Amino acid sequence: MSEQQLRVVFGLATPLVLLGAWWGYVVAFKVPPFVLPPPDAVLAEVVRLFVDGTIWPHLGHTVGVIVAGLLIGSVAGFLLGVLLGKSPRVERAIGPYLFFFQTAPKIALAPLFILWFGLGLTSKIVLTVSLVFFPVMVGTVIGLRSVPANLHSLCAILKLGGTSKLVRVELPSAVPEIFAGLKVAAVQATIGAILAEWLSGGTGLGYLMVFAGTTYKTPLLFAMVLITSLLGIFIYQSLATTERWLLSWR
Amino acid sequence: MLLSCWENRLFICWVMDNQFVFDLNDYTCEFFALIRREWGFVEKLEHVSVTPQKTALVKANGVTKIFRSRNGETVEALTPTTIDIAEGEFLSLIGPSGCGKSTFLRILAGLETPTAGSLEWRDGAPSSGSDIGFVFQEPVLLPWLTILDNVRFPLDVLGVGKQESTERSKAMLSLVGLADFNKALPKELSGGMRQRAAIARALVYKPRIVLMDEPFGALDLLTRDRLNDELLGIHAETGSTIVFVTHSIEEAAYLSDRVAVMSARPGRIRTVHELGLNRKRSEALKDDPEFHRWLATLRKELK
Repeated sequence: MSEQQLRVVFGLATPLVLLGAWWGYVVAFKVPPFVLPPPDAVLAEVVRLFVDGTIWPHLGHTVGVIVAGLLIGSVAGFLLGVLLGKSPRVERAIGPYLFFFQTAPKIALAPLFILWFGLGLTSKIVLTVSLVFFPVMVGTVIGLRSVPANLHSLCAILKLGGTSKLVRVELPSAVPEIFAGLKVAAVQATIGAILAEWLSGGTGLGYLMVFAGTTYKTPLLFAMVLITSLLGIFIYQSLATTERWLLSWR
Repeated sequence: MLLSCWENRLFICWVMDNQFVFDLNDYTCEFFALIRREWGFVEKLEHVSVTPQKTALVKANGVTKIFRSRNGETVEALTPTTIDIAEGEFLSLIGPSGCGKSTFLRILAGLETPTAGSLEWRDGAPSSGSDIGFVFQEPVLLPWLTILDNVRFPLDVLGVGKQESTERSKAMLSLVGLADFNKALPKELSGGMRQRAAIARALVYKPRIVLMDEPFGALDLLTRDRLNDELLGIHAETGSTIVFVTHSIEEAAYLSDRVAVMSARPGRIRTVHELGLNRKRSEALKDDPEFHRWLATLRKELK
């Protein structure tokens, strides 16, 4: 068998073996469904959620929080990253505080955000923004710092400086690092949105998980884990596709 | 009427026992030509060379560079250096590493400021982005732009219209033999082709002076030979002033009108040689005994 064929076989076989083991274990040991539901029950639950439409308002809510948090957080992180990357003096002044804020566990801050911004959408978006912001900012700073010295010399020869240099040379050159930050941010945004919904409110995938957990609807909980993971992968992949398109010159 | 040459620069002219001293420049050359034409002193003037003395495009006056390391030690990268660079000439700077040849080039380019001394530009210090063309040791291209857009980049920065900049860039790309690679990305080309594109980019805006920092140092010998020939062709065609840093004696002798031999610790120009080899160089030059004499001279001096 060629390497590619082997890869296909393993790609199909691995999940099948795992699912089989899961199913076999549940059936053989008669595990009650509220402890560990069989895979077919989880699948049935996923299908039910989509067919009767229960999922849509929750999914929409979560996607809304992720997208809003990702947008606001990335723009803010990018702008501050450009400021810090271009001005070492500003970085020395406010850099340490930003790092302090970043090291503080966000889950500890989450109740504070709810206290400040209420139980509604705002506190959820703020929590997501706080998670997204930092990786994008760091990516932008690193990207701007790693512009090759020769490109700086070229700009000096051509008397290219300021905004023109930033737009024509520095930012295009920093795109790979910025996207590395964005991809981390996308995963963080998903976690942030779920976490925020977990803590407060009555809609969203996170809320549905808490509901499933506290009411022992274990198949629903498993279905939510599956849907959330797929959502995270989808967001990550759409960013990765944009990156591949933007970085086709690499 | 009689003319004689004094110190290569001043000309003394006797007209009916009156003595006139001229500084030889373009005007006096025209004047002599006029005398020759109008009054027919052809025989008398014929044996006096009245080719215009090339005017210095830039004069380096005691240019010095001292680097200070972190622990306070000073390194004299370039001791006071004085040299005139003539318009349209091909000048090579040759010497071992650490002789300050790249430092001098970077000072000329304005990338470094001299610790002491000054540069005196004939037409004023470079102020616009189109004054200096620089070719780095590595081909420095913007990897996200096509070859054509890379060559056009300086023109875009200078605000040249899109149609004109495209035409000029395409013409320059065919001059360096890359006409078929306009739409290629830098990563798709070989090292030699990328360096040609970088040369095209440095020439496309017709800079006052082209500075090259060991541009072919990273290339294999065959590519290097071919690019040397192409560079000579480009120099003949464009008439640009080129200052070329190299550590290859053969390359320097093959390409240059003048070769400045430099030595290290402290970095300085030891001698400047006017080679006077046939300007229309080709492969045949490499068998020329005169060429080999120069190689031997330069090699001895570099020891």
